[in-house]
Amino acid sequence: MKSFRPDEIVVEQGSECSPIYRNLRRRLPDVPFRFVERTAHQDGNGSTAYDGFGAAKRKLYLTRHKGEFLKKCPGSDGQVCCNYFIVNFASNCPMDCSYCYLQEYLGDNPQLKVFSNVDDLIEETDQTLRKHRALFFRVGTGEITDSLALEPYTGMLGELIPYFVEQPNVLLELKTKSACVDSLLGIDSKRRVVAAWSMNPQRVIDWHEAGTASLSERLDAARRCQEAGYRLAFHFDPMIEYPGWEADYEEMIETVFANISWQSLSWLSLGVLRTTPSLKRVMRERFFGSAILSGEQVLCPDGKLRYFQPLRVVMYRKMVTWIRRIAPTVKIYLCMESKEVWQQVFGFAPSCEKELGNQISYFG
Amino acid sequence: MTEQDIRDYSTAKGFHPQTLKRWLNWQADDASALAHLALPLKINENHLRDLMDWLEEIAVRDGQSIRQILARRLISESATDPRLGRSDRFKRIKEEIRRLRFPRLAAVEDAIRARIVDLKLYPKIRLSVPSGLEGGRLRIEFAAATRTEFKQLSTRLLEAGDKQKLGEIFDFLAGEIDEII
Repeated sequence: MKSFRPDEIVVEQGSECSPIYRNLRRRLPDVPFRFVERTAHQDGNGSTAYDGFGAAKRKLYLTRHKGEFLKKCPGSDGQVCCNYFIVNFASNCPMDCSYCYLQEYLGDNPQLKVFSNVDDLIEETDQTLRKHRALFFRVGTGEITDSLALEPYTGMLGELIPYFVEQPNVLLELKTKSACVDSLLGIDSKRRVVAAWSMNPQRVIDWHEAGTASLSERLDAARRCQEAGYRLAFHFDPMIEYPGWEADYEEMIETVFANISWQSLSWLSLGVLRTTPSLKRVMRERFFGSAILSGEQVLCPDGKLRYFQPLRVVMYRKMVTWIRRIAPTVKIYLCMESKEVWQQVFGFAPSCEKELGNQISYFG
Repeated sequence: MTEQDIRDYSTAKGFHPQTLKRWLNWQADDASALAHLALPLKINENHLRDLMDWLEEIAVRDGQSIRQILARRLISESATDPRLGRSDRFKRIKEEIRRLRFPRLAAVEDAIRARIVDLKLYPKIRLSVPSGLEGGRLRIEFAAATRTEFKQLSTRLLEAGDKQKLGEIFDFLAGEIDEII
């Protein structure tokens, strides 16, 4: 995995009191720090000649987050929802996957930001969790950033995990393509933290997941987390279809289960590559000539492009077969898929988001 | 066609500067080949962008130039077919390029269409599948003016329900497509 060394760290006034600032100072001693009253807005994809999104990954901003920290995952219109919540402690990511939806989602605001007001995050989350003790929350931090890629530098999770593990009605999921788990290993997760990896065959990682950990590095990190008492999950998402994908994905599944005991997995998810017409425009500019753009994706009612339905049903069925051969009872769910696709793949569809969310939350 | 021809056409049609820039960024042969198609057929910007997307993606996938793709027989014949009006020529060309861009989807659609024809329900009963096969459902449409006609059509539909061809359509929609693709 490529180590992260920003060209500069820009600190917004008021953020220099935070523990994240102290960690950055200590862990990136050679990086220049600049202090500003307010962080200015930086455009991303306005100019096609200048890769604003790529450039934004080389400068780290430490700033206060002014909006809500805890949100319901927006899911996708008309698709089966898994009742997931998200906490955003950072925005953008130092890695550079060619299919990443942040290229579009953060196109107008691509700055790589870490939020310094951790106390506000905890306070806001605490209010919600306390107010709704009868509800069980599955919370992830990997919606608009990678959960762990910046952890060696920010130490953010060293601040958050001790709070989350004391809450009776929450499970925290840390979703990553990195291998940055060293700082997690000394924290008692009390079986309330799920360390989760997005998984793809090494060939796909080489093609499309620049700067991320290799498959073997991810598996090694997962194994170490497992030994340290963390629950584990894997997301085979996004699955990418290309000539020979079957052999690569089948081999990957065998490799995963040769290294990780499937009985210890909290859940697995499957999802095919999803793009949008405007994301493809950005991908075309940033990764011109990438074969990922040539997949047989069609526009679905939720505005996303996916492989046409019979093709992705074939992909899901094959994946489920390969997984079930080794892990017959592991919990598998589909990410952002319709009830029709669930029905075609599994022979059933969850009746509502609560049902799926509860199944996942209490599994493992 | 020259770069100036493309610029003039783009100006006349009011294309966004990005569209023109993208077109002119192509190899001269490729840009000219598209111009040979677009100018006589008066293709508008939205359609042109679809074609550009598809052509670039086919070129990457197949390792061919856009000029070579557009020189394929079905496309070049459609472009000059004297039996067709301009609009129909364009429709046929766009469909040919779509089929090149989505060959396996087109194969499944063809297989479904063939089964629908074999059921011999048309024109009284119309069967169709959604664009891109998304949703996995077969749409059935018929109209009746009398109870008798309603009963006749219902009976024909019920009979079709037992036919193997109908089962195959649902199998394709549900992903049983290994033999086709």
